[in-house]
Amino acid sequence: MLLTILVTGCGENEQARPAIKPPTQQEVKQASPLVPQQKLAQVTENTRQTYQWYCAQCHGMKGKGDGINAKFLTVPPRNHTKAEYLETRTDEQLFEAIKFGGLSVGRAPCMPAWGHTLNEDAIASLVQYIRELCQCEAL
Amino acid sequence: MKNLAIFIFSGFFFLPSTLANAGVLKDKNCGSCHRLNATEKSFTGPDLHYAGSKFQPEWLSAFLKRGEVIRPAGFITDPGFLKGPSENRPPHPSFPEEEAHALTEELMSLKIPRQTSVTSEPLSKGQRAKIKYQFERTFSCISCHQSLNLAGKVRGGISGPSLVNAGNRLQADWVADWLNTPETYTSKGRMPRYKMDPATLIQFARFVMMLKKENIK
Repeated sequence: MLLTILVTGCGENEQARPAIKPPTQQEVKQASPLVPQQKLAQVTENTRQTYQWYCAQCHGMKGKGDGINAKFLTVPPRNHTKAEYLETRTDEQLFEAIKFGGLSVGRAPCMPAWGHTLNEDAIASLVQYIRELCQCEAL
Repeated sequence: MKNLAIFIFSGFFFLPSTLANAGVLKDKNCGSCHRLNATEKSFTGPDLHYAGSKFQPEWLSAFLKRGEVIRPAGFITDPGFLKGPSENRPPHPSFPEEEAHALTEELMSLKIPRQTSVTSEPLSKGQRAKIKYQFERTFSCISCHQSLNLAGKVRGGISGPSLVNAGNRLQADWVADWLNTPETYTSKGRMPRYKMDPATLIQFARFVMMLKKENIK
């Protein structure tokens, strides 16, 4: 009896709950988009300054992946002027990579998380700036 | 009463020593690059208004006698910072023994309140491996800071100050405070802000304190 309570203690009575089909990924995205303001984000002078202050250390002043840390990293920083890769990434993926770091999107751990440094508007704006640099959009 | 007398006496004893060095920093024009009190707005070199909370006096004295490069790319506000190391960047001035001693004494008097207390006990082998993993992968410190890998080799980026000899240069409490509340020290650095839990914060500071140049292989 005790074992039964311990095993099910944090859950609910599964049999009493009606079967609910889990939402698809698309439905989740439509209901609660990861970045609600992203499409409205504008690239401003502040965005460019933010990129130069933080991102350019690794990604370079012109976003070519040739920042001053680049040659010391085990995985080269992304070249933001190359569309080939960036057009395979969605804006949400770029947003998450900046906010939560490279590992969060299955990429290199060299890219730190900036979510405690930059607010979501600033990150969304950087995503648009990267789109400007690569002159590309998600396919 | 006896304690009060000792306190007053020690105050008199300490006063001339402090006054004797008052102005050495000014004489050497350190304020032309460094911020020496929190009210100053602009500075082009590392902020020194909390030098006494940040540095170890032995290291500071040795540095002042014969400077070493801590920031290969220069200070974060240098106009050429993003262009990387430059041979044109003037080295830090070196001072003779007596002046270095006087400067160290005055710099070590520049303190701000500490918020964290970190034990000087080294991490265990397991803890060290765990924090090293976080240092490189979770928090990506290695991307901007030179450090030592487990084989004792120097590796890492150069935009941040080198941590290769951090264990001899910095104070453990300051490292923890810096990681916890960087805004206490700088209004805008180039380093990401982290929110570590208190236990990780302390272990991180202890890990940094284990980085010493004598461990280079």
